[in-house]
Amino acid sequence: MKTRIIVAVALAAALAIPASTASGGTTKASASSITVWLMSDAQNGWPTAVANATSQFKAQHPGVDVNIQYQSWDSVLQKFDASIAASDTPDAIELGNSQTAKYMAAGAFQAIKPKNYPNSSTWLAGLKQSCTYGGHTFCVPYYAGARAVIYRKDLYRSVGYKSAPTTYSKFLAIGKKLMKKYGSNSNFSALYEPGQNWYVAMSYVFDYGGQIAVHKGSKWQAVLNTPQAIAGLTAFKKMTLAFSRASKTNDEAHPYPSIPFAKGRAAAFIGNGWEWPYVFNPKGGAAPASFEKKMGAYPMPSHVKGKYLPTFLGGSDIGIPVQSKNKSLAADWVKAFTGTASETLIAKAGNIANSTKLLGVNAKNPALAPFARAAAFSWFVPSAPNWANVESNNPLKPMLTSILTNRASIKSAVTKADSQINKILNAKS
Amino acid sequence: MSSRSPVAAASVAATLPQRRRPLGRRLRSASVPYGLLLPASVVIAAVLAYPLYYLVRLSFQHYGLFQLVRHKGEAIGTANYAAIFHDSVFWHTLLRTVAVTAVCVVLTVVLSTLIALLLAELSSWVRLLLTAGLIFVWATPVVVAISIWSWMIDFEFGVANWTLTKLGVGNFTHHDWLANPWSGWGVIISLIVWGAIPFVAITLYAGLTQVSGELLEAAAIDGASRWRAFRDITLPLLKPIYVIVISLSIIWDFQVFNQVWLITNTTPTPDYFVMAVYSYVTSFKISEYGLGSAIAVVMVGIMALISVFYVRQMVKLGDVE
Amino acid sequence: MSSPLAGAPLAGLRPVRRRSRRARARRWGVDALGLLVFLVMIFPVYWMVSTAFKPGSDIIANTPVWFPTHPTLSNFSDAIDRPYFWTSVKNSLIVVVSVVVISLVLAFLAALALAKFRFYGRKAFIVLVIAVQMVPLNALIIPIYLVLSKGNQVDKLSGLVITYLTFVLPFTIWTLRGFLLGVPRDLEEAAQVDGSTRFGAFVRILLPLIGPGLVATSIFAFIQAWNEYLMASVLVHSPGNQTLTLWLAGFITDRGTAWGPLMAGATLTALPVVLFFVAIQRRIAFGLTAGAVRG
Repeated sequence: MKTRIIVAVALAAALAIPASTASGGTTKASASSITVWLMSDAQNGWPTAVANATSQFKAQHPGVDVNIQYQSWDSVLQKFDASIAASDTPDAIELGNSQTAKYMAAGAFQAIKPKNYPNSSTWLAGLKQSCTYGGHTFCVPYYAGARAVIYRKDLYRSVGYKSAPTTYSKFLAIGKKLMKKYGSNSNFSALYEPGQNWYVAMSYVFDYGGQIAVHKGSKWQAVLNTPQAIAGLTAFKKMTLAFSRASKTNDEAHPYPSIPFAKGRAAAFIGNGWEWPYVFNPKGGAAPASFEKKMGAYPMPSHVKGKYLPTFLGGSDIGIPVQSKNKSLAADWVKAFTGTASETLIAKAGNIANSTKLLGVNAKNPALAPFARAAAFSWFVPSAPNWANVESNNPLKPMLTSILTNRASIKSAVTKADSQINKILNAKS
Repeated sequence: MSSRSPVAAASVAATLPQRRRPLGRRLRSASVPYGLLLPASVVIAAVLAYPLYYLVRLSFQHYGLFQLVRHKGEAIGTANYAAIFHDSVFWHTLLRTVAVTAVCVVLTVVLSTLIALLLAELSSWVRLLLTAGLIFVWATPVVVAISIWSWMIDFEFGVANWTLTKLGVGNFTHHDWLANPWSGWGVIISLIVWGAIPFVAITLYAGLTQVSGELLEAAAIDGASRWRAFRDITLPLLKPIYVIVISLSIIWDFQVFNQVWLITNTTPTPDYFVMAVYSYVTSFKISEYGLGSAIAVVMVGIMALISVFYVRQMVKLGDVE
Repeated sequence: MSSPLAGAPLAGLRPVRRRSRRARARRWGVDALGLLVFLVMIFPVYWMVSTAFKPGSDIIANTPVWFPTHPTLSNFSDAIDRPYFWTSVKNSLIVVVSVVVISLVLAFLAALALAKFRFYGRKAFIVLVIAVQMVPLNALIIPIYLVLSKGNQVDKLSGLVITYLTFVLPFTIWTLRGFLLGVPRDLEEAAQVDGSTRFGAFVRILLPLIGPGLVATSIFAFIQAWNEYLMASVLVHSPGNQTLTLWLAGFITDRGTAWGPLMAGATLTALPVVLFFVAIQRRIAFGLTAGAVRG
């Protein structure tokens, strides 16, 4: 899902309970402790939710320590694979919802019974799908994220628009005016759209009725080379070239658009809920608190009236590896972490909780409410076991670059990407 | 540095009669070298023997995630190797790796030679400054060094773009250094060479300091130009050192991974594949461990072929006793 | 300061007594060139150190800030206050010192065998030592993890030490062999005349003579162990066992890089190596190749 700079960023210092002594205790799970691997997002974004779950767990199992180890998206799968090879896996692990299929197909996770888990009857459909394989459930939905437009209210006002656009044509009109007024500064973008942001590009594809790939019999077939997908990509190209000065060879994490946005180089960008507070994060935009007064958000309108541009429903799930030696203890921790109390804290941190019951948590928060609304129209990646391999070295990214830099026509670019995706999806696993 | 005179000791030794040693002692002393080698061998073998065997064995198996979970690979003979040799990406990557290695090694050695020669001519305070600077470069953690370079060529806020624009070289605002593989590789090669120069330059400089000043003075008196003096006197004397640094550079540069991996934000396109990256992506990104291992084995084989010449030189080095 | 770095031999080319104007101008020209090379090489490092002193707003700025006009030590205190800083320092020191000491001892013994003895399999072993360095490390991550896991060495400093030894030993053995070859055999025999055993001769005579070689290889081992992170990232799980490089990597997360504290931490990490080197640079420069050049 999210990639970051360094492969060796294996450990961010855990702020949670350290379970080892200075000379290094082994983290082999035993009845006295369990090991959980979460992404550093949790450590930075919602540490209270983690602490809440752990204290709930310890009330239930007083003698058992919880060893939370925070991972980085870049290296977690490599470490997980190594641990599988050595039968030394964590007791619970967070995986991106587009990565689970691969591990479920390989039998890496323990099957679970949803009815034993809190709120399972109201789990978000998109997340639940990413935990289902062959009719069984292998993981627990953790949280989801939707994208919306974060924008500068003051800049929109300066070109005559007091409220956010609700139609695509209005969105285009605003963009044109912004570029006319501020575009002479070669750093300025009306909408900062990194060229390799395939999440947004595919949103356009789905908006025009296209898809990425479909299951035909026993094979997967990439279908970007269809009139609908091509229409979507054409609209995406038109918008990006007109409004964005972002790099055409970088994706949405290099840099995070919050940063140039905070420095005044963008009037808007499409991002996740957590990218709002990231504008103020010293590691991110480092904007002063007063900057927030100028910010607003709205779901990106679709070219079809009354709809939103479908957003990628990203998210994470938590699974219990088959090789764990403390499956029932791990299950108890996961139940605590995905229960209402922790999930509410997770939602308040700028995410979408795993249950429709909790969708209203952010309804009154003007910063976060648009994201929850945007989730009404969403898309997800093909549920192929090998999809994670597509994302690891994503052919869609160079495809977009070649389209945006005019090095290839859309038709030839999608043809090439289709064959590359087919090869990966249908590889013997 | 010891002040013993080798010459004096040698002359003493030359006058001694040789002694025959009894059989028992001979046997015991025959086992001495093996005993000396044992500790180091045990350590190396303990950590590497099984992994190396495992690597080769894996290369003959189909070993994906499915097999990983079950700890059991599927023997498929040489199918992995066949797949590699039929893959155009492999051949392009191989060619690219050889080219990048050659360019890096040549640049490193030439630039380091020039810097070493320069070091010899500097006033001592400038020399100390430059040496300390080189050491600082060498001592900077690789991860950080690459981060800095990444940051310097950053699309939005990089100092390189800003400076070039200000200097009037062109409009480099929002210039993407990695968009074009040629410029991207230019950056990566600069980064590699920059990191490699300190070690080689200081090594060569150390060698230079041992070239007798008298020889060079004599050459100067005879009217030889500096270039000829360098080529005919210095270079032959430094040959052993050059053999060492060149072969080390080849080995290290052929295996280059970090610089490419981190500059491309861990998502290199095939244009940026070198062998080590290709192997890693195959193993860890698409979880094809058998295939990735085969690539690694091929890598070692190719490196061995390339360095056969140098290895033979090194084995010969010091065999004159 | 009279050090072997003075390069006295080559200085003989210039007239020593009366510096002609041409020679002086040439001197300045050469020095200027030296300074230019220094500036070019050091620039990225300068950028690192100056960023360490910049406040956050100066780091990501629309116009680069060349010289920190509002220097601050807050990045350094941020870095040091970060959890596990001192623990990481301690761990790194333990690992590095162990690797350096053990590798020197083991490599010296092995190099002795390879340089001073004739025995069956010697050439093969030399080739093996060189060949081992050709194996790409990242291909061996999982197998090494497996081996260490079986030996219960995962997430232990001792596991790291053993792994680093494996990668440092070949180069160290090979280099020390080169130095030992440079010492005439007659010296040992002279020592044996005194009645010492062969081994005693080795220790008493050879060891001091290859002092510079030991120093050179110890620097190499030091830097390798101090800066390594790929294996460490896979082998270390608990934050309490981190080395400095892993700790540093923690500044670069999925949600952005804390540039200020990262650069401060990196500066702190590089400093010991620089100090260590500057302290012993006399011996190393001369010694790195003392054995190889004969002339």
